[in-house]
Amino acid sequence: MRDFIAKYGTALAGLLVFVFLLVFARNFASSANLLNVLKQTSFLAILATGFTFALLTSELDLSFANLASLAAVVTGGLIAGGTFWALAVVAGLAVATLGGLVNGFLVTGVKVPSLIATLGTAAIANGLTFMITGGVAFVGRWDPMFLALARGELFGIPVLVVVMAAVVLIAWFVTRKTRLGTHMLATGEAQEAAHRAGIATRRMKLIGLTLSGFAAGIAAVLLVANLSSASPQMAGDYLLNGIAAVLLGMTMFEPGRPNIAGTFVGALIISMLANGLVLLGAPYYLQDIMLGVIVIASVSVSASVLKKAAFSV
Amino acid sequence: MSDILTVRNARKSYGAVKALRGADLSVAAGEVHALCGDNGAGKSTLIKLVSGVERPDEGDIHVRGEKVRLANPHDALAAGIATIHQDLGLAPRMMIYQNIFMGSELERRVLGIKVLDRAAMIARSQDFLISLNSVMRDMTAKVENLSGGQRQAVAICRALRWKAEIIIMDEPTAALGVRETEEVMKLIRRLKENGVTVILISHNMHDVVAVADRVTILRGGRTETSLSTDGLTSQALSERIMGGA
Ligand SMILES: Nc1ncnc2c1ncn2[C@@H]1O[C@H](COP(=O)(O)OP(=O)(O)OP(=O)(O)O)[C@@H](O)[C@H]1O
Ligand SMILES: [Mg+2]
Repeated sequence: MRDFIAKYGTALAGLLVFVFLLVFARNFASSANLLNVLKQTSFLAILATGFTFALLTSELDLSFANLASLAAVVTGGLIAGGTFWALAVVAGLAVATLGGLVNGFLVTGVKVPSLIATLGTAAIANGLTFMITGGVAFVGRWDPMFLALARGELFGIPVLVVVMAAVVLIAWFVTRKTRLGTHMLATGEAQEAAHRAGIATRRMKLIGLTLSGFAAGIAAVLLVANLSSASPQMAGDYLLNGIAAVLLGMTMFEPGRPNIAGTFVGALIISMLANGLVLLGAPYYLQDIMLGVIVIASVSVSASVLKKAAFSV
Repeated sequence: MSDILTVRNARKSYGAVKALRGADLSVAAGEVHALCGDNGAGKSTLIKLVSGVERPDEGDIHVRGEKVRLANPHDALAAGIATIHQDLGLAPRMMIYQNIFMGSELERRVLGIKVLDRAAMIARSQDFLISLNSVMRDMTAKVENLSGGQRQAVAICRALRWKAEIIIMDEPTAALGVRETEEVMKLIRRLKENGVTVILISHNMHDVVAVADRVTILRGGRTETSLSTDGLTSQALSERIMGGA
């Protein structure tokens, strides 16, 4: 019983909140609104999935939101400048992935603690977004094919949701079913032991941080396509939301360990709460307070991995 | 009996400290060989040479009669030598089978994609443990929930998974209580029955006399003597180590 609560308690609480909102929040239950929640979840879940990979190897990535903003303005800027949209998408993905790779090299090669290294790249990425945009957003009439990446439907399901499902399922498969995932996990759990067992622990950390960047790139492209505009700091809010989703996820399914299923449900709960609070007429600042409470409460429940990540040098 | 491992005239200095000044070691195939000596005698240093962690300044290492160069732990493993350090090198929050197969997981192909073969790893982990007469039912139990003796068994299974023929155990019972120490002694005897050569570093003379076939005593970086434990009492062994007799 205790084990059951430890594994599924948070998910059950999420379910209760869902039922509460269905009953008490006006319009929450409308299919349009529920679809909206799911769409909002997609950006968050993709970003948080990337962060989960980094944290799985016991490294933090505080740069993913700013890398996403950077990738967004690169993609948006190129399209606004007349580049074929598919090339712009590739460029956006490449920029964010490169950012993750730089994080990885700083952490594994130069041996800068990830907390500091990614804080640094976050600031650099932020500076670059303002350099590229001059502080104003790229907007315009963009190729409908590009916009369909976020607004289109596939067999009646929003493309956004399809992409999110694909990212989450592939990530779940990699972490749970492949040698790579096991090696990343062992690296995060017991680096010295993993190294002695012949696991390339530094490469695992490099891969974890690079995947975090890559995921930021995917989310960035979708954000731009969804808004058909790209502005500096457009993904800024996702830093705390993404971290909260992962930490909340660590209280589920595999308690104390970053895990993809937990991250996904965590993202779902956070988007649902954000949406519900608005519908209940709660003041806008309550959302930040809620995120802060979630972060602190989650970590106090299951802190070990995060503490290791934050304080390992 | 033929020697499976010999070290001849090994010398190793750390700066001005001469940790080994001509140490010899001859280990016969299939025996339990204890390595004893006072603090700082050079036991750990000698083991580091044999497990590929350090290179000797001088001296040769032969495995099965052939001279080997052990540049790193991987070379030592390839030569069939696995070392279990005192901290065991396990991931406490991971499962038994995950620890046994850490770094060498079994895979199978599903639709051309390689996926972990969890069932096979669980079955083979069970086999390894049974070969040690160790009773653990749930291979998905976390190592942190095991007793000290059981953890030692998991660490040994990983060495067996690597097909080690020589298993070196550095102070395996130092942190254990009486009953768990007895468990580890049983594991060592069982390894011997299975034809595995064991090198045991220990400060506990009772354990050494109880489980080892031969003892090599180091003093001041040199091999003092190597003797059979037949008829040897722990008291007599202590005296030899102190240099009394
Ligand atoms: N990395 C090192 N750097 C400097 N000196 C070292 C190093 N390793 C060992 N020594 C020295 O070499 C000598 C032999 O050390 P070693 O660890 O081999 O002894 P030991 O027999 O294992 O002792 P103990 O029973 O305390 O474990 C000691 O004087 C030790 O201080
Ligand atoms: Mg020692």
